[in-house]
Amino acid sequence: MARSAVAGAPGISRSRLTTIMVLTGPAYIWLVVTVLLPLSVMLYFSFLSDVPIGKRVAVLTIENYAAFFEKDFYRILMLRSFRLGAEVTFYCFLFGFPCAYVLAKVIKGRWREALFLLIILPFWSNALVRIFSWTMVLRGNGILERAVNWLIPDFGPLGLMFTYPAIIVGLVHSYIPYMILTCYISLQAIDDHLIEAARSLGAGRFTVLRRLVLPLAFPGILAGAVLIFVPVLGSFMEPRILGGRIGTFIGTIIEDQFTAVFNWPLGAALSFIMLGIVLLILLIGVPAVRRVI
Amino acid sequence: MAQVTLHEVSKVFGRLKALDRVSIQFEDGEFYALLGPSGSGKTTLLRMIAGFEILDSGRITIAGEPVEDKPVEKREIGMVFQNYALFPNMNVFDNVAFGLSVRGTGAAETKRRVGESLELVQLVGLDQRKPHQLSGGQKQRVALARALVTRPRVLLLDEPLGALDKALRVEMQIELKRIQRNVAITTIFVTHDQEEALTLSDRIGILNNGRLVQEGSPHEIYERPTSAFTARFLGDANLLRGTVRNGFVELADGTRLSSAMPPGAEGTPVVCAVRAEKILLESAGGEALGQGENELPARVISHIFAGSSLTYLVGWRDETLKVHVQNRGFEVIPEGAAVRLSWPTGDTVVVQP
Amino acid sequence: MRRRYTLASFGRFYLALMLLFLYLPIVVMALMSFNSSPFYRLPIDWSLTWYSALAQNSRLIDAGLNSLWVALATTGLATVLGTAASLAFFRYDFKGKKVLQLLLFPPIAIPWLIIGTSMLVFFFWVGIGRGLHAMVLGHVALAIPYVIIVVSARLRSFDPHLEEAARSLGATSWQTTWRVTLPWTAPGLVAAALFAFAVSFDQFVISYFLSTPGVSTLPVEIYTAIRKGFTPEINAVSTIIIAISMALLLGVARFYRFGGER
Repeated sequence: MARSAVAGAPGISRSRLTTIMVLTGPAYIWLVVTVLLPLSVMLYFSFLSDVPIGKRVAVLTIENYAAFFEKDFYRILMLRSFRLGAEVTFYCFLFGFPCAYVLAKVIKGRWREALFLLIILPFWSNALVRIFSWTMVLRGNGILERAVNWLIPDFGPLGLMFTYPAIIVGLVHSYIPYMILTCYISLQAIDDHLIEAARSLGAGRFTVLRRLVLPLAFPGILAGAVLIFVPVLGSFMEPRILGGRIGTFIGTIIEDQFTAVFNWPLGAALSFIMLGIVLLILLIGVPAVRRVI
Repeated sequence: MAQVTLHEVSKVFGRLKALDRVSIQFEDGEFYALLGPSGSGKTTLLRMIAGFEILDSGRITIAGEPVEDKPVEKREIGMVFQNYALFPNMNVFDNVAFGLSVRGTGAAETKRRVGESLELVQLVGLDQRKPHQLSGGQKQRVALARALVTRPRVLLLDEPLGALDKALRVEMQIELKRIQRNVAITTIFVTHDQEEALTLSDRIGILNNGRLVQEGSPHEIYERPTSAFTARFLGDANLLRGTVRNGFVELADGTRLSSAMPPGAEGTPVVCAVRAEKILLESAGGEALGQGENELPARVISHIFAGSSLTYLVGWRDETLKVHVQNRGFEVIPEGAAVRLSWPTGDTVVVQP
Repeated sequence: MRRRYTLASFGRFYLALMLLFLYLPIVVMALMSFNSSPFYRLPIDWSLTWYSALAQNSRLIDAGLNSLWVALATTGLATVLGTAASLAFFRYDFKGKKVLQLLLFPPIAIPWLIIGTSMLVFFFWVGIGRGLHAMVLGHVALAIPYVIIVVSARLRSFDPHLEEAARSLGATSWQTTWRVTLPWTAPGLVAAALFAFAVSFDQFVISYFLSTPGVSTLPVEIYTAIRKGFTPEINAVSTIIIAISMALLLGVARFYRFGGER
């Protein structure tokens, strides 16, 4: 295609430009108005002393950001959220990667397609409902507790509901299909002959995994990790439902600022601190994501 | 470097018999080509020697030692794949060094042997290149160096030249032969390209439908095919059906063909194979035709010009026969002209139908 | 060599465990929705109590209808806007194309919590306010990137020579689009539309911040009910929702191959 005939040159290229604008314009105006503008306004709000609505007087200030660095409370919560994100990501990799491997390299033919679909089917179904469904499993005298007590009589209550592990289980359940999906895509792209070549050269299974499969699947693993870590960092509904009173994270605090406390500027500042850290991670991770998708 | 033997090896995929009691002995240091059409089982056989396929029955030994239960990585083989299978995450040096590093070879020794290996395949100075920066021929050389660096007992080649274009393929054939002679390693080579097999190998085994149909030197296989399949698969052979009568083969119209070898028991149906380039084609002018054996009257249907030779398609009864004539500046016999085909007794090869 | 078979069967077993993990809670929830005991007593006392209770619950029914309307509006808008942009990306190389494609990432990559709250702030500030119209605004923004990704994937396997052939036969640019390109892209369009519907229908976070006490969608109502100490009707409505989403995804899979070709 003629790269040279882009904007600038008159005649044909002008009509081309019009066509391109007509086709892409509406979608991108929409995105700008509903995503980019709101983000910018929120950035502006994060530097205000109060919400500039009605008769309230708002002045520019950095005290919302200062609050984060002055009060241990927010920093500890931010770290807690990072730990949650890291743990969920790690478990998703630990359990998801072998699953992707089996799917990509062991299962063949029609079965593979069917199983793959089964794995990502819950993934696109309602996230809230899936988290809620875990309360049915984890609750006191629920299915899991009964099963454990049936296997080991007099085991007593499990007490899993409203605990940190419950949040982890729920989040891993929510996000593990991401990891399986991205790892599967990059594992599937590895030519089986490469693995055979390595084995013919004397490499055992573990060596093949360590020196060939993991390095080649790394973009997929990284993509999965980014796609899991970022949303977990911003999760608030999951910790509230499965964590109850102990489910306080930076996400729930931000939510509180907007729905309960109505301290929008502080909520905005906390969001942008989190976003700043997320962007830093994306800056490292996005090249890998783009290579896989 | 070692002898490899296959004894009554069989493999079934579902209902398909991929290999049916195949026994071959690969001699120490020989270049052996497994030749056959696709689906003949040749690749399965190679992968079985490597250990990627598990045999259903039979025995495989390398240097006298049974290897059926050995995993691939313990068999001490070298293998070159059709698409080279170079590790994309490693440069040329690391690719070649891979086999040494998994064996725990020291850094100095590794460097020396990788260097030697790359020199052997005449690929010095590209150590730091990544596979995607190499040409097809260079990839081929790296794959070969990588397979040889561990000094395997046997070298397995799975259509290694299949992905190269014609000119490069010929060049690499010569290279491959030189390198194989140089290291004198038992080499088993899978190909569907008859010319490649004839050029490169000491011996050829022809596979069809999972069975070993014939084996022998390229010359033997070409000149003395034992079955109609081999005759048709290698080169251009005209097949003529007939019956054994009084030591001759009598064709349907009563023409008698004689062969150098006894054609078989009286009355048995046989097929005679005559190579297209062995037939003498003459214009059947006025002169009387000898009533000798191995002589057929025919009519030219068409001709195909191929530069160094001219191929006539001629009709004899209901059959279409092929005749290759060397291009020596002759006059082309026009279509429709009556011609006489004849060939020496020794070129009538009686094969199994 | 027997080892290889056992390793492979262990792998299959592991896959089965994973599926069990993924489906167990959903199945348990679905079973409980048919249990008449409000305390989830076992064994299950089969009944449709909660489904009939659901039929009487006007709050949930209203929320369900809201969800449906928002999802339908989102589907229509996002599919048209996203497809138009995909066509431009497919057909033209132009300055800034990379930037535009990169712009698709924020709605996917930024946590919904932040997108949702910033929409709340912005819509409030400029006077758009909250409610179903605000939700449609937000949902369309989330769905557009998915539509573009799905439609572009389909277009990528379209042979551009077909367009050239149509042009050479005298078709105008618009005729070519309508009669050659779009018909070929149809399966991708259907998949994208189903995707957009699913994105909106299952969306909770954005809806949560843009809802008002009287006007909300099903997921928001469910969340409120869970937070308040819920009634077992939630099991029933959740089961219905999950059944709808899964049916939608199966529909998508019918038209769009996940995990690339092969």
